[in-house]
Parts: sequence; C-alpha cells; structure tokens
Amino acid sequence: MTALLTGLMLLLSAPLSHATIDDAHSFAMEAAVPFVEQGFIVREDYWNGEVKSGQKLMVRHQMFKGNEYAFWLGTAQDDVTFELQVLDETGKEIELDFKSQGMFATVRVNPPKTGTYSVVFSLTSKKEKGVYWALAYGYR
Amino acid sequence: MNRSPLHCFFVATSFAALVSVSPVAGQAANSGVQEFDPQAFPGQVVDDVVVPVPSEVFSVLDKLGEPNWRQEIRTVDLPKTGDRTKLSLMFGLVVAEGFVAVQAEDKEAVKDIGREVIDLATALGLIKSVRPHAQAILDAADKSDWASIRKEFDQTQKTVRDSMEQMKDADLSQCVSMGGWLRGTSSVTSVITKSFSADRAELLNQPMLVEHFISSIGKMSKDKKEHPNVSDISKGLKLILAKMEGAVDGFTKDGVREIGKTCDSLLTDIQAAR
Repeated sequence: MTALLTGLMLLLSAPLSHATIDDAHSFAMEAAVPFVEQGFIVREDYWNGEVKSGQKLMVRHQMFKGNEYAFWLGTAQDDVTFELQVLDETGKEIELDFKSQGMFATVRVNPPKTGTYSVVFSLTSKKEKGVYWALAYGYR
Repeated sequence: MNRSPLHCFFVATSFAALVSVSPVAGQAANSGVQEFDPQAFPGQVVDDVVVPVPSEVFSVLDKLGEPNWRQEIRTVDLPKTGDRTKLSLMFGLVVAEGFVAVQAEDKEAVKDIGREVIDLATALGLIKSVRPHAQAILDAADKSDWASIRKEFDQTQKTVRDSMEQMKDADLSQCVSMGGWLRGTSSVTSVITKSFSADRAELLNQPMLVEHFISSIGKMSKDKKEHPNVSDISKGLKLILAKMEGAVDGFTKDGVREIGKTCDSLLTDIQAAR
C-alpha cells in the first residue's frame, strides 16, 4: 500500500504531456485505494490499451456468486468522461454505485450468479482523438 | 495482460451510445435462455481474458462453510526436466498449490512451495525477475502474513507470464495459466465433493474460461499443440466443457466428481517424468 501511494505521488508530480498506458493503470490503482481499505483484494492482472475517444469497449470476465467485485477504470488524460457498465448474460445492467472522479471511474458488482459477465466502457476526451485506458479489478 | 497494443478485434464500428442498444438475443444452445450476444456488440471486444486466481473461488467456499484446506494440500513432486512446456504447466500448478497452502495457513507448505517456485523459475531462466517475489513469500510466511503471500503469488505468476510474453513465448504463458486453473479447479471440486451443495457446485460454471483455454491451445504453434501434456489437456478440457454445458439445471455431485477426476488425471500427467 505504501509503495502504491509513493508511486502515485511520483506520478502526480509528472507532467501529463508524457502520459503513458502505465499512468492509466496508476490512476486505476488510485481508484482502488479506498476499496483496499474496505478489504478488497486487488488482482495483479488487468486490461489496458489505447482507444479512439468515445469508442465502446467490452471485456468478458468470469465472476463468482458470493464475492463482491469492484472494477477500476483509469486514464492518463485529464479531460475524460467515463461510461462503465457491467452486464449479465442477458445484457441486463448489474453494477452498483458507479462513481467517476478526475482520472478514474469505479463500479461495484455483486454477481447474482456464477458465470461470465461483460464489462462495457468508454472514455470520451474533448481534446484528444486517442485515450489511454486501464481496467483493473478486485474482489472481497 | 498489460500489453500494448492490445489484440482487439472490431466487431462493428458503430459509435451509438450503449444505452440505445438492445442486447442481441440468441437462443442458448442448451437452455433456451435468451443470452446477450457479445459478437453483436457495437464496439471493440477486448479478447484478452483475465483468469481468476484460485483464491477468488476459495473465498466463496470459505463463506459457504469451513473447508478443511489442510486436507487439500498436495505434495508437489516435480520431475527434473528441461521441457519448457512441462515446466510452464508445473509453474502454474505450483503457484495454485501455493494458494491452497495459504488458504490452509500452513507456513511450512508455503515455504516448500516458495522454494519450488525458485527451482522452476531457475529452470525456466526467469529467476532474476522471480527471486524478489519468492523471497517475499518466504519472508511473509515467517510472519504468517497471508494477505501479502496471496498478493506475491499473484504477482509471481504475472511476472512469469509477462516475461514469457516479452520473449515471444505466449504459448508458454498460456501453459502457466492452464496449469494453475487445473490445480485450482481440482481443489475446488475436492472441497465441493466433500460437502456438496448447489451453491458450492455453481462455482464450476466457468465455460468461458474453458473455451478460452481450448481456443488458446488451438492457436499454439504445432510443437506446443502436439506436446503430449498439452494435447491431453485439450481433450480433457473438452470433456470438462461438455460437463459444464450439460449442467443446465445445476451440477450433480457425480458431475463435480467427474470434472475433478479429469483435472487430477491431467495434473498427474503434468507431474509425470515422461
């Protein structure tokens, strides 16, 4: 946790003009901090990339009924609007408590069944054509 | 997983807001349930799959009862080999065994596994990047810091897979994941069989992951695909997938046992000296 916060302070002091995909992951990890304090375990694996502003993206993910999940979507740009939804196998939204703040957005999920879920998201920038993103998750 | 650029494919290039898109329904082959069709998603589907670590499933089993995790620890008996495919499968297996040992809070078992991790990483030529994690596992075991050990096992596996992918060894990276999934699933089936309930058995509803592994094997180079262990795993996964897809009304105890038997047989083969 200390290492995470130290890294984050270094990141925040870095100019955004040199933003990278790694910065997007660092902001996703910043989003995770309050969740970790509530007992969420952060997975080391995550998804990331660069995408056209406004483009919808989807990842499919296995979740287990009985766990609570949190997804943390981070970016490296400072003018981004987020959409983040989790859909069950019928396409019904099941996420709770969507929050967006600065460089990241978060949702919590209590999967009603064990199975495959679709995490659908987009990042829209007013200034940039392309947006760096990273999506991480944790469970408790 | 954190690779750039991601290998994504365009299903379509519509930029319509998702909220205006009705999920496309298709008849599920086995249940008649209307299912969301990701192939019809109006955007980009990221085709990377994050495979859950065993402790994600174990944590649910803990909430549903109090499994005797010490009973689930298996002695790891690994052959000396230079076969990198086998070593990769064994690496995944050993890390998953580490998660079982953590669940059992068995300090000595964790240390033994930490040492196995060092041996396997050395054999794979990855000791430089793995040693800090392995040392952290041994140090945390002395303090019984189970949360840190879980994190280190997860990081160890990620470090090894990332290193393999950087060395253009994506097939071996998949082998690490498959070895881990097989050992984790074997352990889950063992716990469920000892105390069967529909809620516990539902944890085996993982067809997307099994399809992902089958598809990954299909994309492997000829030498990896035809490796005896990988070829057997491919056949075994198809049996497991059939069991999962056949469990329309839930898994039976026999169904769970069959999945466990298939996993155990594949794990025995991975640890065989051939």
